[in-house]
Amino acid sequence: MPARARSRVVRCVPAGGGGMPSSTTLASSLGGAAGARVSDYPDNTGLGGHHRPRRPARAASRAPVIAVIVAVSVVAAAGTAAAQGGDAGAGKAVYDLKCAGCHGEKGDGKGPAAELLEPRPRDFTTGVYKVRSTATKVPTDQDLFRVITEGMPGTSMPPWAVLPEKDRWNLVAYLKRFAPEKREEAPKRVELPREVASSAESIKRGREMYEAIECNKCHGDQGRADGPSRAELKDDWGHPIRPANLTKPWSFRGGASRTDIARRIAVGVLGTPMPSFIDSVEKPEDVWHLTNYILSLSPGAPRYATLVTVTSVAGAIPDDPDAALWKRIAPSHIPLMGQVIVDPRNFNPSIDLVAVRAVYNDREIAFHLTWDDPTESTGDGTRAFPDAISLQFPPRPSGGAERPYFLMGDASEGVYLLRWESGKGVGEATAHGPTKLAPLAGAEATGRAVFAAGQYRLVMKRPLASKDAARTEFRPGVFTPVAFQAWDGGAGEAGPKMSLTSWYYLRLEEPESSRRFVLPPVVAILTLAAMLLVVRVAQMRS
Amino acid sequence: MRKMLAVFVTLALIAGVAVFAYRPAPAGAQGGGTIEAAVTYGGAPVVEKLKVNKDTKQCGTEAVLEKVVVGANKGLANAVVSVAGAKGPARAAKAEIDQQGCKFVPRVVAMMPGAIDIKNSDGILHNIHTYSTANASINKAQPKFKKVMTEKFDKPEFVKLTCDVHSWMLGWIAVMPNPFFGVTDAKGTTRIENVPPGKYTLEVWHETLGKQTKDVEVKAGQTARVAVEMKK
Repeated sequence: MPARARSRVVRCVPAGGGGMPSSTTLASSLGGAAGARVSDYPDNTGLGGHHRPRRPARAASRAPVIAVIVAVSVVAAAGTAAAQGGDAGAGKAVYDLKCAGCHGEKGDGKGPAAELLEPRPRDFTTGVYKVRSTATKVPTDQDLFRVITEGMPGTSMPPWAVLPEKDRWNLVAYLKRFAPEKREEAPKRVELPREVASSAESIKRGREMYEAIECNKCHGDQGRADGPSRAELKDDWGHPIRPANLTKPWSFRGGASRTDIARRIAVGVLGTPMPSFIDSVEKPEDVWHLTNYILSLSPGAPRYATLVTVTSVAGAIPDDPDAALWKRIAPSHIPLMGQVIVDPRNFNPSIDLVAVRAVYNDREIAFHLTWDDPTESTGDGTRAFPDAISLQFPPRPSGGAERPYFLMGDASEGVYLLRWESGKGVGEATAHGPTKLAPLAGAEATGRAVFAAGQYRLVMKRPLASKDAARTEFRPGVFTPVAFQAWDGGAGEAGPKMSLTSWYYLRLEEPESSRRFVLPPVVAILTLAAMLLVVRVAQMRS
Repeated sequence: MRKMLAVFVTLALIAGVAVFAYRPAPAGAQGGGTIEAAVTYGGAPVVEKLKVNKDTKQCGTEAVLEKVVVGANKGLANAVVSVAGAKGPARAAKAEIDQQGCKFVPRVVAMMPGAIDIKNSDGILHNIHTYSTANASINKAQPKFKKVMTEKFDKPEFVKLTCDVHSWMLGWIAVMPNPFFGVTDAKGTTRIENVPPGKYTLEVWHETLGKQTKDVEVKAGQTARVAVEMKK
């Protein structure tokens, strides 16, 4: 009998559809027989799980057995209801421990940490949820479960997959209690038009639609969140909110799958300026063309690196950030964090990623940096400051693990900075902390920056050799520590208010030398000669 | 005989036309009265200006935020005057509001529960983002090719209407429970006709100055003049 029950578990679980908790929880909390009823339980996630008809009893003699199964199943079904629907009481215990810090004990989004977060934590008492798969305002249980499990990329909401699945369902049940009146209407899934696969044609149509429905107003012409309405955007609670950078799907709040993106376009993001477009595109399938276009804007996934390789090149290195040389080199993506160690802290940094390309020749080293900045600024001195970026090196790399303090050095040990600032251009500096920056005299660094459609592209060049002890010398084959700092002056970033990284490494690859063509034959000839000599000597002795 | 027939036919036609042309006046006109409300505000007008950084062809270079518009003789525009408790048939005309020059025109529209046409004469992207409690709030894009979008508001309340693309745009849809309402003009006046006789409370609502009430008695065939002063 247990075997029979188990076979049903296996058969029924997939039938439950995406809305069902996986068999692990059911099996552990309810036993094998419980799982047998999963597909019979009404799917309150609104996903409309497919129900398979149960096999009729084959023999009358098995009736008592079947009666027991049914009895157990009925009891188990009640248990399943609790697991699927979740136990709000148990959810409260988890909530108070894990969620209240940001979302508040009352669920009003006013926890002790809320002030520091942007976007702000959700206020559950309104029943308004950003990410949902429904055409109406009410999200499905599965929508809530998914946000708890996967978190919201690009926000302070982490994925809670670390919690047992049962706890997460219990949380779903508890969250719904904060706004019971908003749950009167049953969630209704949005019907997306038939999916259109990505193709050059579809992407072209997507771009046309992007222009026709003016996505650029907020998301910018190239999707880098630099549209003219950006500064005005507020959520339903009056807090400033940023449009999504469409070139970084990994930061999309509601996921980056094709369906996720198409749904966001179709139903909008509730409580934010992002409206619903399902009734506002020329043809419903335009939702998919837009999805294909948006995905075409991104490099797929960032190429995160911990070691930046500096490629050896022959001949002059171009100043122009758009020169062909730079396109041949694959970038290393370096993620940046807000500086939150010293005041003023930057809890919501604007710049979160820099793409680095680096080359050197017999004389110079050059860095090509690309980063998104939605607000180009040379600074007005009051609320806006100059945009800037810097590469940080120890003046004398020790070759060991010892390095200056990553936050721009300290009083005892300074750092060397190769930096660019809008309005000033490329320069060199020494720093002994984020507020103690001194430009270096006799700077030989040069470079050029280009700003277009919410993105900076910059080339900074410098001789390999250092003029003095304050400047780092670059030598092939040596691991040189490097760190990055960036300021979006248009967003009010200046001084310690910046994005930054800890130490990474830089390595100048060994130049290609002709010795590999010379040495091996020489060695071979010498070896041959030695062998011949040995043979000759042996012959002479005999 | 033929002549007689022609006369009859003519008479019949005239009679027919006359019957067709004669429509009994609405019940209110026979037995109803009129309210003429004059809403005033002693304070200063609140009109803010904002530099526009986009769509300047449609929006102009300066957006005017008409928060409190005061005309001649302190007349307060854009106030909704309504007769609480009165009962009457639904209004036939469908309400409409336009987005023109990156402004809601009119800024305040009053309607009975039902549908409203939201037009986009600007031919640029607007988004209809409403804030309401009784009615479900909506946030729908209205791109340039969507000339009209029809939305339903079934429950009486004052619905705030915004556009996130042009954050200065602000309008109001006053969903009223009965047909006896009006929105004050630039002089601060409005006329509500065919109100069934009786004693009522006149309610005046303004987006920033709140609500005021005043008792009014409506007599058949007469005009009741009511002056209401809004206070901050």
